[in-house]
Amino acid sequence: MQKVPFTTGYLTAHCGDDAYGTLDGYKAEGGYETARRVLKKGTPEDLIETLKASGLQGRGGASFIAGQKWSFMPGAEDDTGPRYLVCNADESEPGSFKDRLLLERAPHLLLEGILLAAFAIRAEKTFLYVRGEYGEAIRVLTRAIEEARAGKVLGPRALGSRFAHDVVLVRGAGAYICGEETGLLESLEGKKGQPRKKPPYPAENGVFGRPTTVNNVETLCHVPHIVEKGADWFRGIGTAESPGNTLFGVSGHVVRPGLYELPLGTPLDEIVFEHAGGVAGGRKLKAVIPGGLSMAVLPAGQVDVPMANEFLRERQTALGTGGIIVMDDTTCMVRVACIITHFFREESCGQCTQCREGTGWMNRIVSRIERGEGRFEDLALLKDVCAKMEGKTICAFADAAAWPVQGLLRHFPQDFQSHVTHGQCPYPGSFVLA
Amino acid sequence: MTERVRIRVDDVEYEVDAGRTVLQALDDCGALFPERDGKRPEQTDALIPHYCWHPKLSIDGSCRLCQVEVRAGADAPPKLAIACNTPVSEGLVVDTKSETVAAARQGVMELLLINHPLDCPICDQAGECKLQDYAYTHGVDHARTREPRRKAKKRVDLGPTIVFDQERCILCRRCVRFCREVTGTGELGVFDRGDRSVLETFPDEPLDNAYSMNVADICPVGALTTKDFRFKMRVWFLEDVDGICTGCSRGCNVHIGVAKNAVQRYLPRRNDAVNGTWMCDDGRLSYHEIAREDRLTTCLVREQAIGEDSPQLRPASLDEAVAAVAARLRPLLDAKGPGVIAGIASAHASNEDLRAFKTFLDVLDVDTIGLAVARGDSDDLLVEAEKGANGAGARAVGFGALAPVADRIRGGGIEALIVLGHDLFADGSLDARALAGLDTVVAFDTHRSPVERVAHVVFPVRHAAEKDASYTNSAGIVQPVQRAVVPGPEVRDEGDFLQRIGAALGLAGFETETETEAESKAGDGAE
Ligand SMILES: Cc1cc2nc3c(=O)[nH]c(=O)nc-3n(C[C@H](O)[C@H](O)[C@H](O)COP(=O)(O)O)c2cc1C
Ligand code: SF4
Ligand code: SF4
Ligand code: SF4
Ligand code: FES
Repeated sequence: MQKVPFTTGYLTAHCGDDAYGTLDGYKAEGGYETARRVLKKGTPEDLIETLKASGLQGRGGASFIAGQKWSFMPGAEDDTGPRYLVCNADESEPGSFKDRLLLERAPHLLLEGILLAAFAIRAEKTFLYVRGEYGEAIRVLTRAIEEARAGKVLGPRALGSRFAHDVVLVRGAGAYICGEETGLLESLEGKKGQPRKKPPYPAENGVFGRPTTVNNVETLCHVPHIVEKGADWFRGIGTAESPGNTLFGVSGHVVRPGLYELPLGTPLDEIVFEHAGGVAGGRKLKAVIPGGLSMAVLPAGQVDVPMANEFLRERQTALGTGGIIVMDDTTCMVRVACIITHFFREESCGQCTQCREGTGWMNRIVSRIERGEGRFEDLALLKDVCAKMEGKTICAFADAAAWPVQGLLRHFPQDFQSHVTHGQCPYPGSFVLA
Repeated sequence: MTERVRIRVDDVEYEVDAGRTVLQALDDCGALFPERDGKRPEQTDALIPHYCWHPKLSIDGSCRLCQVEVRAGADAPPKLAIACNTPVSEGLVVDTKSETVAAARQGVMELLLINHPLDCPICDQAGECKLQDYAYTHGVDHARTREPRRKAKKRVDLGPTIVFDQERCILCRRCVRFCREVTGTGELGVFDRGDRSVLETFPDEPLDNAYSMNVADICPVGALTTKDFRFKMRVWFLEDVDGICTGCSRGCNVHIGVAKNAVQRYLPRRNDAVNGTWMCDDGRLSYHEIAREDRLTTCLVREQAIGEDSPQLRPASLDEAVAAVAARLRPLLDAKGPGVIAGIASAHASNEDLRAFKTFLDVLDVDTIGLAVARGDSDDLLVEAEKGANGAGARAVGFGALAPVADRIRGGGIEALIVLGHDLFADGSLDARALAGLDTVVAFDTHRSPVERVAHVVFPVRHAAEKDASYTNSAGIVQPVQRAVVPGPEVRDEGDFLQRIGAALGLAGFETETETEAESKAGDGAE
């Protein structure tokens, strides 16, 4: 059996070990000791300060500073009712499969992270919203929650403290948009998964109208380590602005697709060529999407970039979820555009005019180009449609739909132009997408 | 008191309530439709164009047309934001005219139109369509799509009152929110998602509620139209006149749509103190009564012709009718005095006519007076139990309960009755039999009614849409109305007839030629 993942660090060191997924096995590695100490002797304020000092960025895609997000929640003086933590385990960004590993192989690490975060924001309950297709994860988590309840890790006196907490697992039903935090909240409430306008923000009015914090699975899994080893330890890993390890998921035309736990700031070319073994079949690299399907592509010549937002930003892309999609030189970028726009067209919730209509229009235009029916003006038209969508909608989905198309047009205009010039796709093979 | 903050929108400063959003605040101070001036919002360009926002519905924030640039203060960097959901704050600066704003609006307009059928020539909304209007003012002038437009359902029968065109729907969800938030009936929803999203009724649940037709008013486009008005008339041929619905004592304010001297429709006219922006379907359709076949168009006098078994009501001239009343009342007054005469007012009469009636009765010295009014169902939204627009006005003038009058009539103490309206038998305390023995019954009414059966003289009076007058609603608000249509030449105000009757009876202060008459003559000529 191959190691899971290929390179490990503090997050995933024990993920190859089956016992780590059980309560006893987790405790044998010192698990829940940090939470036990904090829940008994610590204060929410100190915990939030530690997190702020660590500089941990959310790993759900937006890289928002976790400690800062927690501090938006009302303090102890607000006693109007319950507040909630929501763990976002909807992982549906194409190219992302990092949370899945943690859910399946480190459920108690996640539960310990949940306990700490919940203590910091004074939440009495956590909703763990899991992508519906993650059957194994749901099975593992259900058992882990039962074990934790039986072992008094959860319950009215969590880990023997005076802090009461419970975790409720909720299964999603396969909509990408239910990963967007307010779409998720609507879905949790049993409604159609459509993101909410902001304000109000979840910290003020979240699930069931109560103050709520939404955090990604991986984000929460960093927390026990940070609290145990300290903010300075965490800051010693990664870059100054983007501390810590992260889980990079590499897929596409590489020799060793899979997960890699590496410090933020690890150069993209090192990940692709050294860790993932380079392009498969001895072919040449054409492009890399660095952070899940919603992020702008980088051409082969620009992959010498440290994987941290402060560097990726200069190349007009971002870390996203760390899902790295590698494409070799046989890849038609218009077909890539067809696939990407098809995805976003399918998944738009349809509330906002620009997103509802723009995703469909972009898809129709690139499909037309792929069929050889494009015009040169279509490139400018596509850019313009992207500009009409970007930054103008209820949620970041429309940006997520526009950015990859903008990236493809920016770096591979020749692929689009040759389709127009030849009146057909110059790449071999047939391509049909419903 | 609510805290006030100052915001600046373009070059104008407004002091507004804290806790409101930019659109709400502008609406609060009447600045959202700057050139409104009696016109319906549908007819004027909003200061900040918007589709999904509606003053009486929750904020949706989805159409994205209301985008503006906001700055937290004069020196802060501008940020594109939707005006409908951006809270006001002290010193907030709103720019509605910048290039960024214009581009953002243009983007929304272009994207809304790429799948729109553009069937304005056969669309009933044309002329009061916000998609048309804003396409002109904020949109692009040509289409850049080469793909076929999305096909969807046409002419969907949503229920008893509304027809739906799915292709024209811009998915603003105003109608959905109306049915959820206002009527609580929730018949409508947006199904599927992305560019497959469609508005539908839930299966086996037609759009059928007492306020259903309001969805056609709030639909910014021609997607929802009422069966009643659909294809009846191009809206640019309509003149709008301010009126009220006379269906119940709420007195919902309406825009009376008039063409060819006929009322073509009622639309609710916004009045936050009375009906907000809504009206009930029954009230909306009540305009049909104005030109209904059973309208009274001439005076009627009961006479027995040779060969007839009993006297019959038959058309008479104004002078004949007035003379007939005088001929019946004069001897009675002389012989028995005013004590045998009773006067019953109606909730359908205007304040002006009710005052004229009261004056008339006072001069006669009649003190057996009351108010007949019909009662029916009510609800928590608008519909009131009292079915008549001016019960409160009648009571304010001095017409009280009907019961004492009815008692006296049944007790035989009354020989002549002067009655306005047709609700005399509504509460069941009187019926035709109880009145059969009266010497004289003089009625004033808009329509034929059972009161006729006992009346000796009937005068045809004007509907609220046919006069300049005022009505007092259940909350005591005095509401003026304007004449929207001109009735037949013999149809007059109660006050006008009473004036003539008073003169014929030789009552002090009653002249033959009345002011109203002179006025209406002048008005008739001008129309
Ligand atoms: C369209 C869309 C899809 C998203 N999907 C996910 C997801 O599957 N999982 C996730 O953790 N965050 C997802 N996010 C990000 C969440 O909105 C949110 O920022 C995140 O869960 C916050 O967690 P963090 O602060 O710990 O990163 C998505 C965002 C958008 C706009
Ligand atoms: S941006 Fe797209 S996905 Fe997000 S709320 Fe608007 S329509 Fe829905
Ligand atoms: S039918 Fe009209 S009101 Fe309803 S969603 Fe469509 S456009 Fe909006
Ligand atoms: S509520 Fe009363 S006044 Fe308003 S429309 Fe209905 S009947 Fe007319
Ligand atoms: S009116 Fe503000 S988004 Fe529709």
